[in-house]
Amino acid sequence: MLLPSFVYRTWQSKALLILMLALMVAVTALTSVAFFVNRVDKALVLQGSALMAADLVVQQGDAPPEAWVDHAAGMGLKTSRQLVFPSVIFHKDEPLLVQVKAVDENYPLRGSFEVATMQGVTESAPPRGQAYASPSLLNALSAARYDVQIPIGTQQLRIAGEVKQEPDMSGSLFQFAPQLMMNYADVAATGLITPASRVQYRFLVAGPVDAVERMRRWLASRLPAGAKIMGVKNARPEMRQALERGRRFLELAALCASLLSGIAIMLAARQYVAQAMDGVAVMRTLGMSTSQVLNYHLAEISRVFLLGGLFGVGAGYLGQLVLYAMVGDWFGGQLPPPGWRPVGLGFSYAFILLGGFSLPVLLRIRNVPPLRVLRRDLEPMNVSAWLAWGVAATVFSLLVIWQVQDWQLATAMLLLVAAIILVVVVSGWLLIWFLQPHRGKVGGVGIGIAALTRNPALTLWQLHGFTMGITLLLLLALVRVDLLEIWQGSLPEQAPNHFLINIQPADQLSLYRWFDEQGIKNSGMYATARGRLVQLDGKAVNPDQYTDARARHLLQREFSLGFADHLQSDNRIVAGKDWQFSAEKKAGFSVEARLAKTLGIRPGSRLTFDVAGQLLSASVINLRSVAWDSFNVNFFVQGNAAMMADLPAAYITSIYLDDTNTSRVVRKLAQDYPSVSLLDIRSMLNRVRTIMDKGAMAVESVFLFTLIAAVLVTLSAVQISREERAAEIAILRTLGANRKLVATAMLTEFGLLGLYSGFLGATLAAATEQLIADRLFGLEAGLNIHLWLIGMGGGTLVLVLVGFLVMRSLLATSPMRVLHSR
Amino acid sequence: MQAPGGSLLSILTGVDLNVNAGEAVALLGASGSGKSTLLGLLAGLDEPTSGEVVLLGQQLNALDEDARTRLRLGKVGFVFQSFQLLPGMTALENVDLPLKLSGIANHQQQAATLLEEVGLAERIDHLPRQLSGGEQQRVALARAFAGDPQILFADEPTGNLDPETGQQVIDLMFSLRDRCSTTLVLVTHDGKLAERCDCIYRLEQGRLMSAS
Repeated sequence: MLLPSFVYRTWQSKALLILMLALMVAVTALTSVAFFVNRVDKALVLQGSALMAADLVVQQGDAPPEAWVDHAAGMGLKTSRQLVFPSVIFHKDEPLLVQVKAVDENYPLRGSFEVATMQGVTESAPPRGQAYASPSLLNALSAARYDVQIPIGTQQLRIAGEVKQEPDMSGSLFQFAPQLMMNYADVAATGLITPASRVQYRFLVAGPVDAVERMRRWLASRLPAGAKIMGVKNARPEMRQALERGRRFLELAALCASLLSGIAIMLAARQYVAQAMDGVAVMRTLGMSTSQVLNYHLAEISRVFLLGGLFGVGAGYLGQLVLYAMVGDWFGGQLPPPGWRPVGLGFSYAFILLGGFSLPVLLRIRNVPPLRVLRRDLEPMNVSAWLAWGVAATVFSLLVIWQVQDWQLATAMLLLVAAIILVVVVSGWLLIWFLQPHRGKVGGVGIGIAALTRNPALTLWQLHGFTMGITLLLLLALVRVDLLEIWQGSLPEQAPNHFLINIQPADQLSLYRWFDEQGIKNSGMYATARGRLVQLDGKAVNPDQYTDARARHLLQREFSLGFADHLQSDNRIVAGKDWQFSAEKKAGFSVEARLAKTLGIRPGSRLTFDVAGQLLSASVINLRSVAWDSFNVNFFVQGNAAMMADLPAAYITSIYLDDTNTSRVVRKLAQDYPSVSLLDIRSMLNRVRTIMDKGAMAVESVFLFTLIAAVLVTLSAVQISREERAAEIAILRTLGANRKLVATAMLTEFGLLGLYSGFLGATLAAATEQLIADRLFGLEAGLNIHLWLIGMGGGTLVLVLVGFLVMRSLLATSPMRVLHSR
Repeated sequence: MQAPGGSLLSILTGVDLNVNAGEAVALLGASGSGKSTLLGLLAGLDEPTSGEVVLLGQQLNALDEDARTRLRLGKVGFVFQSFQLLPGMTALENVDLPLKLSGIANHQQQAATLLEEVGLAERIDHLPRQLSGGEQQRVALARAFAGDPQILFADEPTGNLDPETGQQVIDLMFSLRDRCSTTLVLVTHDGKLAERCDCIYRLEQGRLMSAS
């Protein structure tokens, strides 16, 4: 049996064992993260799917062809059809605008759907002849709850229930009227759908990820003009942003674990080579060629790869099971099982990490002179430091890019690592230079200081390991909390959960008073009008000129234009001038950056909108990013207040209603302001909040692995100098140095190393926090002085403790070893 | 001592050795005869499982590790076969270390003088790896005699050196010893070297026999 013999041989060699353990912990950490992230990722995607009621939705003006349904069925996918259109119903002779949503029996494919009926709660679509009403529709009908007959077109439907929970909400946020849900098969009989009707068909698809992806590609090539495919990734902007941010936090945590593991490998490999040198010299003396010696050691390393990879992936799988047992209930027991990808990833990580981080160090073996058998102090010529670091840096860069598949995040991470290395090298030399004059001090302190200065290369290696560990731990432990708090803070407890739309200018002031009377907070009123972009820089806009599907879609529909003299607090100008219209008294637009990019709009571009037949023209003053997940009122295109003077605008606001008074307020609003429509976004808000919470918890659990990796880095860094230290302590003891003196020396050395690493780590973490918050998450982070206190205090404490443990084991060694060693 | 098989292994048996102040004693013996172990016991680097060792009038068995270390400080010097210089320290720092540990006032000056005495005035700022074997052993000698120890333990001091260099080191060691009137316990398997001592003992399979 090959495996047991591999295990036995590795076990016999202490250096290989350490290397194998380093690799195993690295792979365990990485694959546990990979397995878990894989599952969390799947869960997050499911959350996103739940909000669309499907994994994929095609939206278009015509009914989806039967061929689509058949093709999907052939691929084992579930499908559902929907039809959404506005209609007017008459109730007690009063006309009422409703949004009709017709669904078939398969609805919903994803997410939860609950309807309260006379018979209790049901989760299925309305049967033929029946309809379900949204709470706002029931209010508008002031119906005695259910069992009301309402006419819709030429049909009579019985309202059999009230929709309590609905995964997808139709249309854009601001197009809502009270909703009526009916059976898809009843629509034809209403006679409401004519070729000229403004309707929206939706074709919903759900199933295994691969099949959905194949279906998406199949559909993309057959899509008629004006049709749009929505996947989880391009679902609602609020959702997409929450999902992406959650994923980024996870990737950041996983990257930190992988980087620390790489450093542990590098340190362990250095230790392996140091221990292998004597043997190499003997092999060379016995006539083995350089390549034979190298091959021998590569074979040893391959064994380490195999064992480290195998045990690491296995332990990684078990690790995520433990993690799941711990945090599974956060996901309501719904976390899907992991795929095979993490297994392949685990072995690839093992290969890349071992190769990239140990190979350059291993190459030193080629240069061990045979003369070393006679003179042990002969060190092999160093391989070019540039080569060693170059290979490790390249390999790590590729790993980062491959793992996160996000240039921005990868670049940030690599810049961080490069900055850490540069800072550590420069400040490490500064420290050594500063300590040099103090090494002559009498007593343990002097010996401790001398220990740091006498082998600068070793000091720098250790400083790298510790600083990198402390930086990443601080980033994950504290910055993570800071960032998550800022992120979650962007969605406060009392975030607006209802939008009020279609507020007439005449009602604006009285509605403000009404809010005061009811004790309701609002986010301010914003004038809005709907307009179609007709000219860009004086040229007529033709959707067909755009190859991008999203651009074509955007140009075919009307925008909700907003008008105000200030930007929302969550907006940030990313290009162009400040928003100072009032001061300049000049018309202009501010455009959301992503939209601008899609449509090729730059600051200075001239936009012309057709608003109900009137042309509205102005230049773009600036582009801005929008925190869609703040649930404030936001617009893709915003003009200043003066521009709307002659436009048929209505106002919009968002308010927070707590559960106890929602129905009362909704009823009262419908009575007092019948023309104002209320849009309930509580379910979407809850989903975004759930994603944020779950994302935060997942990151916290990933942090555990980073902690293990950091411990390993510390141990490897200490291990490097262990032999040298043991010999040194034995000589010191022989020369008459007592325990106290040896202890003072070691604690001084480790304490100084910890204090300095802590300082560097805190500084680097603070700088990185600013960078990450600003560039990656578009959030603002303050400077946290606790970083330095915890970094320096924690660094010193941990390293003094490590120093104490190392010392204890070394002091137990008899000074006799100086007689027997070498 | 516990042997790998579990049985007890006696390295030294019935050893009764008296070394008087100022005396030079050679311990001769083949490899594995227990010479270094005996040296370690005499210097208080190791503890015997039974029996007693008295060093400079102090009963070593009654002292713990730290007390034995204190006893060595400034009073006991060592020279090893493999030099045992601290690799990260310069020649001067290596010699200076025991003087500094003993709290001697002008320690650095004394260390420099000692290095001059062993002919390494030009090499005081060199690291051990920049010195030849003979030079390293001379640094070790300077370190061993730093602070005028009362007793010097030397374990095969010429074992790693060529005969000519070895001879120079031995001459140097004896001249320093004569100047400081240091008691010398020398472990060697070189009969000629042993003859320079006042008294020679031979170790055979852990038993001590008087040879002269």
